[in-house]
Amino acid sequence: MLEVCDLKKKFVKYNEKHQKEEFYANNGISFKAKEGEIIGILGPNGAGKTTLLRMIAGILEPTSGTISFGKLDYHHNEIEIKKSIAYLSGNTKLYNTLSPYELLKMCGNIYGVPKDKLESRIKEISKKLNMDSFLYNRIENLSTGQTQRVNIARCLVHDPKYYILDEATSGLDIISSQIILDFIKEEKKHGKIILYSTHYMEEAENICDYVIMINKGVLIKEGTPTAIKKDTKTTNLRDAFFCLIGGVSYE
Amino acid sequence: MNNLMNILKKELREMFRDKKSLAMMLIIPILIPLLVMGMSALFESEINKPITDYNKIGFDYELSEEEKKLADNFEINVVTSDIDTLKDKYKNGEINLYVTKDNTTYTIHGEDNETTSYASALMDSYFASYKEYLQTNYLEENEINPNEVTNIITVKEDLEEVENYYGNYIVNYGFLFIIMAITISATYPATDATAGEKERGTLETLLTFPIKSKDIIIGKFLSVSLSSIITGLLSLVLMLISLVIANNSFEIYKDTNLMLSTSSLIFTIVVIIAYSLLISGLCIAIASKSKTFKEAQSALTPLTFISFFPGMIAFMAGVSSSPILSLIPFLNYTLLFQDIVTGTIDIVNILLMSISTIVVITLVLVVIIKQYKSEKVLF
Repeated sequence: MLEVCDLKKKFVKYNEKHQKEEFYANNGISFKAKEGEIIGILGPNGAGKTTLLRMIAGILEPTSGTISFGKLDYHHNEIEIKKSIAYLSGNTKLYNTLSPYELLKMCGNIYGVPKDKLESRIKEISKKLNMDSFLYNRIENLSTGQTQRVNIARCLVHDPKYYILDEATSGLDIISSQIILDFIKEEKKHGKIILYSTHYMEEAENICDYVIMINKGVLIKEGTPTAIKKDTKTTNLRDAFFCLIGGVSYE
Repeated sequence: MNNLMNILKKELREMFRDKKSLAMMLIIPILIPLLVMGMSALFESEINKPITDYNKIGFDYELSEEEKKLADNFEINVVTSDIDTLKDKYKNGEINLYVTKDNTTYTIHGEDNETTSYASALMDSYFASYKEYLQTNYLEENEINPNEVTNIITVKEDLEEVENYYGNYIVNYGFLFIIMAITISATYPATDATAGEKERGTLETLLTFPIKSKDIIIGKFLSVSLSSIITGLLSLVLMLISLVIANNSFEIYKDTNLMLSTSSLIFTIVVIIAYSLLISGLCIAIASKSKTFKEAQSALTPLTFISFFPGMIAFMAGVSSSPILSLIPFLNYTLLFQDIVTGTIDIVNILLMSISTIVVITLVLVVIIKQYKSEKVLF
């Protein structure tokens, strides 16, 4: 079980008079995620999705609120929690001068995969993601689709319990996106908890069990896609979102 | 410890596979043999300038038989002509100097340049001999024993040559180049491992790994240090090889041993390692504050100058090492190198330099680790 409770993140920005101004990228967000569940985090660009996922992944520290991974929390078990997480964002880049094999070996070692199991784990993942033909080539020489498969393999190597995927399909072509979506569905079957942020509402509607909608750092609605559509009397999540924010605003 | 090794391995792999990092590691060391041989050749050409380059002397008077003999002894190529022709010949470079005579006054004419100074020194010797010849003749004509007058006092020189000026100069410059090589070698990988990682978007991935900030920073620090130490030691080896060749090839180093003694060599390695560690730490600290590779390179430019200017100024101004100066980063390394060259190394100064280096590195690492613990490192 992953539980996020009243999470807030305050940042400082400068206004037109070059004065410091505080603002909340996330303001009191709470939700729970159970094993085998895909939680969709939806919202437009700048809604606060990345900040939320970065806090859950332990990259950013919350201003207030708590994040619990079962009985563990970041204050006392940071390394242990990070060992059970795989983080993949649309901006995630890999070490170009390494080969996929070297990268997977490095990640396996860092995540504490036993040495005797690591080789067979890499072979298994390579076969599963059809990476054998480029496993020993440098990442800088791979295509976008191949690089994305390496990125997924990196997430799989330590068999994590939690997947945090931030706009993972953003900017990818239809085939590369499908690789990610297939991977998410596969991991759900294995009982993993998957947090999946996107601004593609249709994509979320297809794969998410539960959705939380964020706008301007505030949770505006949560529930199953069906329940949200029913509550808002709409036929899809896109319309539901516009209904909840009161139409398009150009602020 | 295990994760520190993982980060170190990753950084070393990236560094040694990056052509630019390798180029930065090798470019200055390769220049060191050129510097040693080139400067040695220059010094030697200055000292052993062939006499034919400056022995064409014009005279506006006819030389006596005695003067001609003397000119022959000094290998002076005599050109006799009137003053206007001599001026033209001097302007055209046909003669190196010209001499005019007015009764008993001889005037040497020419412009103040390098060749003229050699020719002028030649004429000074010539006129000193000619003057001695005339004085001896005069004394003999007046029935005075010339030896009683000319040898009225005797001056002897008992100057022990403890150091070879050119030898010291070349070794000191070699050490300055080693410092420069280490600095340049540290700059690129430090930038790549910090600001470069941020710019490429791999820092976010790194921060999600179950690794303590301390292990990330120490791993990066050790990899950059290793690159600098390799460059420093490679520069030293190339410098020593060049010195052996120069020692055997150039007259200016005759009767001098340019090679470092075993103890000097050990101290040199200690200074190289200490300097590599310090500059690597500083480079990482500065570069990790930058958002982009370019920004980090600009931020590191002043450090490149700071690293060798104090030493260069101290070398030019003849500043000597002392316990207090051994505590001042940058200056201490150059002063210790100077002591190594002159063979006056003091173990206390080496210890103080080591303590100063350890203190600075510890402070720098604490600051960077704190920075990596904070989310600010991402922005």
